[in-house]
Amino acid sequence: MSSPAVSAPSPAFGQRLWARLRRPDWPRRLKVTGTGRTYLMVTLGVGIGALNTGNNLLYLLLGLLLGVIVLSGLLSERVLRGLHVERVGADALHAREPGTFRWRLSRERGHAFAIEVREVHAELTGRATAAILGPGRSHVLRGQVTAPRRGPLVLEAVDVSTTWPFGLFAKSRRFPIPGEVLVLPARIRVRGEVPRAHQGLAGEDGRARFQDGEGDLAGLRELADGEDARRIHWLKSASSQKLVRAERDREERQTVELVLETGPSRAALDRRCEELAAQARTLMARGIEVGLTVGPVRLRPSIGPAHLRRLLTALARAGFSTPPVTREVA
Amino acid sequence: MSARLNRVRLRLRDLAAGAAFGSLVISWQLPSVLLLLAAAGFVLALFDRRPFGDRHLVGGVFLLLAGALCFGMVWKGPVDLVVGACCFATLLTLQRMLSAPGPAVDAQVNLASLLMVAGGGALSGDLLYAPMLALYAVFSILAMGLGVVSATVAPGTTFPLRRVLLPLSVGAGLAMVLGLTFFILFPRLSWNMAGGRVSTGLGPVTTGFSDQVRLGGSGSIKSNPRVVARVHLSPDPGDEALNRYWIGRTYDTFDGVRWTAQRTPVETEGQIRLSHGGDRLIHQEIELLPAYGARTALALEAPSLFGGAVANTHKGRRRTRMQRLENGEIRFEREAPGYDYHAYSLPADVTREVPALTTGDLDRARSLPADLDPRIPALAQRLLAGEQDPLRAAERLARHLSTRFRYSMELPGEHPDALSHFLFERQEGHCEHFATALTVLLRTQGIPARLATGFFGGERLGDDYILRAGDAHAWTQVLVPGRGWVSVDATPPAFRSAQPEPFLTWLVDRYEALEERWRNSVVDYDIRDQWAFLSGMLSDRERHDVLAGEVVEARPRRALGMGLGAFFGVLLLGWILERRVRRPRSDPATRFHHRLRRTVQRDPTIGAGLARGVPIEELARRLRQTDHPAATPLDDAVRRYLEARFGSRPLGAREASQLLQRLRSALGTAARSS
Repeated sequence: MSSPAVSAPSPAFGQRLWARLRRPDWPRRLKVTGTGRTYLMVTLGVGIGALNTGNNLLYLLLGLLLGVIVLSGLLSERVLRGLHVERVGADALHAREPGTFRWRLSRERGHAFAIEVREVHAELTGRATAAILGPGRSHVLRGQVTAPRRGPLVLEAVDVSTTWPFGLFAKSRRFPIPGEVLVLPARIRVRGEVPRAHQGLAGEDGRARFQDGEGDLAGLRELADGEDARRIHWLKSASSQKLVRAERDREERQTVELVLETGPSRAALDRRCEELAAQARTLMARGIEVGLTVGPVRLRPSIGPAHLRRLLTALARAGFSTPPVTREVA
Repeated sequence: MSARLNRVRLRLRDLAAGAAFGSLVISWQLPSVLLLLAAAGFVLALFDRRPFGDRHLVGGVFLLLAGALCFGMVWKGPVDLVVGACCFATLLTLQRMLSAPGPAVDAQVNLASLLMVAGGGALSGDLLYAPMLALYAVFSILAMGLGVVSATVAPGTTFPLRRVLLPLSVGAGLAMVLGLTFFILFPRLSWNMAGGRVSTGLGPVTTGFSDQVRLGGSGSIKSNPRVVARVHLSPDPGDEALNRYWIGRTYDTFDGVRWTAQRTPVETEGQIRLSHGGDRLIHQEIELLPAYGARTALALEAPSLFGGAVANTHKGRRRTRMQRLENGEIRFEREAPGYDYHAYSLPADVTREVPALTTGDLDRARSLPADLDPRIPALAQRLLAGEQDPLRAAERLARHLSTRFRYSMELPGEHPDALSHFLFERQEGHCEHFATALTVLLRTQGIPARLATGFFGGERLGDDYILRAGDAHAWTQVLVPGRGWVSVDATPPAFRSAQPEPFLTWLVDRYEALEERWRNSVVDYDIRDQWAFLSGMLSDRERHDVLAGEVVEARPRRALGMGLGAFFGVLLLGWILERRVRRPRSDPATRFHHRLRRTVQRDPTIGAGLARGVPIEELARRLRQTDHPAATPLDDAVRRYLEARFGSRPLGAREASQLLQRLRSALGTAARSS
């Protein structure tokens, strides 16, 4: 048996209205543009002229000008209302370098015009624009944004603004979307010498025959249990009716282990991260596998875009305590 | 940026500037040079020729020169400060418009155009200002909206222009409704003292009084239906056609070709009394419209008192004194396009006191041209046959002229002795010929007479009487001992008042009515009207005529209901339209499918087989199995529908029609054979 629910008395309409008016995060922000300032000045002038002279044609014009201002508010509200915004993020955003950032916008009905999207973060500058957003489908807006430093940036909201319809006011609506964007170290030139690479054989360690390299074909044998299926020679397997694997010579491998010393100041750490990132990039471009040690974290030497991304991510996060990330978007 | 979008935006921006310029032009106060220059500039802009381009120096020099020119015009006096400012706003708009377009330049053109519109409002009270303002509003709203959108269009992309024009057009309409609402409700904190009370209306003035009346020439004033004066008479005679003389100016000196008068002011006062008239005077509340075009005051014959004159200038209403001239004419001291004043006249049956004429006046009223044709006195002598009484003599001569001579406005060519030519050769002429002939004929017999000009007529319009330009008239005044100057008209009665074309009259009347409504509802709208409007909306009190004890005006509460109903009606209409416009149209294949189903369902033999929910493919299969004559065309149509709907093979309108036609033919054949 359930007991009857006891609800608190709802506040009066006036109290609710007052509470709404006092909200610090007022849902719309209005900014007067340069053209709008001049327009308002002219409207004021026409108004003073009308009041001073009593000329009804000036009153008529004043009415039209005020009507345009009201209309501006109504039409811009229509654009911002019913808008759904989602942060897509960036593929790779490097510090002090414009990078492509994406947002997904959609509306259920009605068109929206002259939309501008930006992140509400003091350090992430840049915007994306769209001339028109149709109803019923999502639009991905791409904009160039810039961050001044590496590291994770905690994002709180997305600002969508419009100067529609007359460019007199820029009305914006804030969509609270928590998230994080990781800014990778800035791309700089390598200063000085790159570390010397350690030379040795590459391949699957721990195998008796050490014939698991990527070099010339050394022989064929039946695939044993637990061996990597990617080693199967499919042509020979098809002809022999059993799984045959190829054995290849191990190649010479060059590796470099980069180490990021923790402890220096934030600026020095940023510089060091940028240097290490530049070295990793250069070394990988030369075909050298690069590993990285950042405090307790160690990344084994490897090569390729995915590994480079792992290195850069580790460098970007170096020195930052791991935040409670809702969703990482880069 | 889409090139088309840019082109349309610029065109709209320039049209908005053109409309703003039009609002200035209708005041007819801008210098002609500026009008020509601006017109040329607008034509260049509309053809996308922008000579200033990116030449900022040239543009700057042009603006400097424009500023100096306008300042000079104001300094030297040909134009006042407001007109000078409007001239500069025009030149500024022109310079910006003919420069390379860009967001900043567009905004400057729009704002400079706005200044022009404001200037137009300050200079003109014309009805044409309303369409100009509306055009400016529509064009500038569209241009500003497209400007905002074009700033965000990625380079090289196409833009669906119609998508943005539709909401902008609706917005323009809404802006005007809001503007009107603001206009009605915005509190009037001052009296309408400087409103543009006057307007030139349909072009330049059409009547007016000149310093002299010259005989000869042709004209079309009799057919001109423009209203030049509105008069409210008290007591109201109630006649539809008043047919009275409205005297303006008299002439007493004739040199054989032209009439002149002594026009030196002898008295300047706020109120001028010509005679004492007792308590039966006819009160006239007269408004002379800009089409009148003179400073001479009109009044019903015989005027007794003038006063309470207000000049309706371009800068507002100004009190003005009146002047009495030597020839008895009353005119306004201040020059203005229009006037309001009061006049009192003696009724026709009241004998007025006769001011004593000086010897000079009498001599001038008897004077004849030196080279007068001797046949004229002989004619007068023959017609009068010894009649000595001035009035009877005048009436006899007038009767002769009005019955034996023809009225005509078509008098080509000039004749050195126009009077003799009229009396003895052509024997046709207009009112000035008739009046001159009568006056001179009387003078040849020593009877003092003079030429009077003004208007004849008075047409009922509501509670008032109007005078049209075509009512302009000339007649004779003969000096009758004991009665003073008495009017005698030799012009045939049918041709004394206006002879306008009916259609033209109808057109002008509509315009004049519209203009009057414009003046009453917009130009003269003040705090009293505002109060009356609001109290009428909110109150259901009735106004009673205390004397008559009748309800003369009822302001039911339903006015408020009607207003609210209209408001919500407009909202509902907008909502429905929006839904209709935004409703996604089905694709051509789906429409074809619907048409196909309807065609089959209408067929009496197989229509029943296509009930709701039965796929048309199923029906096609059944018809195929029974070898129905329509099976093949239906199969083809269904196959094409499926291809178009799911196979990305578009179906054109013509092909769809052909498929349906084939199906209908087959169904018809099957029905006939069964």
